Amino acid sequence: MATSTTFLDTNELVLNMGPQHPSTHGVLRVILKLDGEKVMGADCVIGYLHRGVEKIAENRTYQQFAPYVDRMDYVAAVSNGLGYCLAVETLGGIEVPERAQCVRVILTELNRIASHLLWLGTHALDIGAMTPVFYCFREREEVLKIFEKYCGARLTTHAFRIGGLQYETYDTFEKDCHAFCDWFEKKVVEYEELLTTNRIWVGRTKGVGILDAEACKAYGVTGPVLRAAGVEWDLRKAQPYCGYEKYDFDIPTCAGGDTYDRYIVRMQEFHQSVRIIRQAVDSLPEGPIKGRVSKVFKPPVGEAYASIEAPKGELGYYVVSDGSTQPFRLRVRPPSFVNLQALDEMCRGCLVADVVAIIGTIDIVLGEVDR
Amino acid sequence: MKELLKAIFFVDLIKGLAVTFRNQKPSLIYTEQYPKERPFVAERYRGAPRLNVHPDTDETLCIACNLCALACPEQLIVVGAERNKETRRKELTTFTYDVSRCMFCGLCEDACPVDALELTQDFELASYTREGVIWDRQMLEEGPLPTEYKH
Amino acid sequence: MEEILDNPYLQPIIATLLIIAVFPLVAGYMVLAERKVLADLQVRLGPMRVGPYGFLQPLADAFKLMLKEDIIPAASDKWIFWGAPVLSTFTALTAFSVMPFSDKFYVADVNIGILFILAMSSLGILGLILGGWSSNSKYSLLGALRSAAQMVSYEVPLGFTTVTALMVAETLSMQGIVQSQLDKGVWIAFSNYGLMLVPAVVFFIAAVAETNRAPFDLPEAESEIVAGFHTEYSGFRWALFFLAEYASIFVICGIAVTVFFGGWLRPFANVGFLETPLNVVFPILLFVVIGAGCALGAARVTLAYEKAIMGVLALGMFLVAGLFAIPMINELIIGFFWFLFKVLIFIYVFIWVRGTFPRFRYDQLMQVGWKYLIPISMGGLIVNGIVLLFTS
Repeated sequence: MATSTTFLDTNELVLNMGPQHPSTHGVLRVILKLDGEKVMGADCVIGYLHRGVEKIAENRTYQQFAPYVDRMDYVAAVSNGLGYCLAVETLGGIEVPERAQCVRVILTELNRIASHLLWLGTHALDIGAMTPVFYCFREREEVLKIFEKYCGARLTTHAFRIGGLQYETYDTFEKDCHAFCDWFEKKVVEYEELLTTNRIWVGRTKGVGILDAEACKAYGVTGPVLRAAGVEWDLRKAQPYCGYEKYDFDIPTCAGGDTYDRYIVRMQEFHQSVRIIRQAVDSLPEGPIKGRVSKVFKPPVGEAYASIEAPKGELGYYVVSDGSTQPFRLRVRPPSFVNLQALDEMCRGCLVADVVAIIGTIDIVLGEVDR
Repeated sequence: MKELLKAIFFVDLIKGLAVTFRNQKPSLIYTEQYPKERPFVAERYRGAPRLNVHPDTDETLCIACNLCALACPEQLIVVGAERNKETRRKELTTFTYDVSRCMFCGLCEDACPVDALELTQDFELASYTREGVIWDRQMLEEGPLPTEYKH
Repeated sequence: MEEILDNPYLQPIIATLLIIAVFPLVAGYMVLAERKVLADLQVRLGPMRVGPYGFLQPLADAFKLMLKEDIIPAASDKWIFWGAPVLSTFTALTAFSVMPFSDKFYVADVNIGILFILAMSSLGILGLILGGWSSNSKYSLLGALRSAAQMVSYEVPLGFTTVTALMVAETLSMQGIVQSQLDKGVWIAFSNYGLMLVPAVVFFIAAVAETNRAPFDLPEAESEIVAGFHTEYSGFRWALFFLAEYASIFVICGIAVTVFFGGWLRPFANVGFLETPLNVVFPILLFVVIGAGCALGAARVTLAYEKAIMGVLALGMFLVAGLFAIPMINELIIGFFWFLFKVLIFIYVFIWVRGTFPRFRYDQLMQVGWKYLIPISMGGLIVNGIVLLFTS
């Protein structure tokens, strides 16, 4: 990673990648300092999608704010909803019924699959394979259909409410989930055939954008990026929520911490998510779906932090209450934003083409970075 | 040795080619030809709002309680009501719903105590003007009239 | 009248005019075919809205491109910016002049035909470099740099493999190469005890790189450098680049077919009893099937004008099938049929490859070129040369 200077003292080329660029996944602006095609440094400029979500929270009641969190990481809206609900439930000391927790697990795992599928498709597209993205979207569509049947929206689902769920599962919910799992496992094999052993894919991803465990910890990077560096850290195991301790699953890890390992980790997570969904659907208990929450919800004065393992990493919500119906302050710890910090470190010494691959492999959603 | 032979004969690449070749079957085509074909819309879909009327009497079910307006995070619902002198009950006069600001979270329909306000399966909400997306009571009761596509 | 008909320049002139008039349309339909095939690989439908099954899409695209605003960036080098696409298109179309479409239909049979084509196709890349450089945009410049490097590295294996094939054919004339394959009774790709297959594969890989097609499409790598050398181009000038790209794809497939796969010869050209099944029955069957498909399509579409177009297409296909049944006309067009058929198979493979593989990185591209393709093609040249020496 040494940034050796070239013999000729040429000016470095400053390339503005974005905010309008086909592969910055939204409106990220990266100022690249180039020596030929070699990257000497990368500065991220963010904020093009800033909507002041945290400020909006201060002017909405707890229930009213729930749909807004879906719009941060819109690819994994269900996970966002879960994180927010958990934080507020901790604050208000609300007991969530078993059934609701189980449905929450199923939906968030489905959402993890959908989010990883979108990552895989766009990542492959960035690296130049234009077909996986369509296959991925096909499978993702099936997930979105389940969401739509369950809660009436496909992307910004607003599936969970404080205290549990609003909607009871629909008639064929269990059947749909099982059918999806069976079908999806076959499809993952196809992606593996398309990419995992493909020499061009391996060449493009192996040894690219290495971020070792120490650097991951220094930057606070979480999620698949951390696990690809060999750290077995998954909040679902480390501090279980929603009854994750009841399910039997593994934490896939790799050692290299490069783009290929991150790819492998996420591909493994597909299988683990499918495992969790199968177990959860089979053990779906009967009972109420919503705990006791008064219509005018006023949590006691205090503060609460709840974090979950979102598809992209640790997603945390910190809520401060002054006893009124509206949060006094709400702070989000978005995984994309934290993981994006490592971009500069990962990019140094790479080629322009690798920057694209690295942005893809961090798996950022700009709605969450800028909030 | 086996690995080397595999590399020489491009086994990894041919495997990928086989996947794309297999997927060429016309029956596997997944896209819909909207608007020629109508998309799948679930029963619970949260689309265009509707103000339900009694099926027999055509009278509105809304009791003008204003709960939907209070529940709405965007405060886009305005309920106008008048107290009827004879029956001493509030009666709905106007009801506006600004669809352009709506994020279809469904909190209003959850709040409605009499199932008068409902989000329906209609999803074609485009309008040529900004005024066109602010729906009044009449429009909410009739529901949107999606354009029929001939081609 | 006699004089005009006897004039030796008559046939070339007609052929030239025909190519220049028809090729833009052919390129348009190649784009449509590419979009359709790619869509098919990707479980989509592709263009469906303009005309029946998107059949009129190329015309709509061409129309749109011509009507677009003519934008020349203020900071660009205007003359070069103006001239680059012209240069590209010009060279790409010139290469057609020695293309042996059939034993009867070609513009000229030059005794250095293959060299002429290679020269023209490398000149075409000059257009890309100039276009990228004159745009005065960083992305364009990067694209131009990449295409320059790519051209230099992949011309070499392309040349070596062609030379290997020429050793077998013992001529440089395009018609002569095909003729020699007829005499030997085997396509060059399968001659020399199958040893020629290696150069054929290397040629194919280098050809994909030479035409800037995925997985070697670095000069216009969309996800990295937006559109590469033609980032700043729009409208008709962009269309010219596009035309040039598809022309060079056609040309390189034409070379591959001519040099390695028997040009306008039918498969097993020397096996007498296959004459009727391959030269008469096969084309008739093919066009009848396509025609039947069109007729089925006509039955499915709803609008009157779409029905008419599909109907005319179906009739046309049946008519062509009928032409193949007439011995005299069959003899005239069968070479052309086989040449186009093989070229189309190659183009299909190009699209298939594009739809499957990720893109190489710049340094890997160089590595593949210099570390693998060039040594292998040189080795192929030497081995094949030795085998030829001992067998002849």
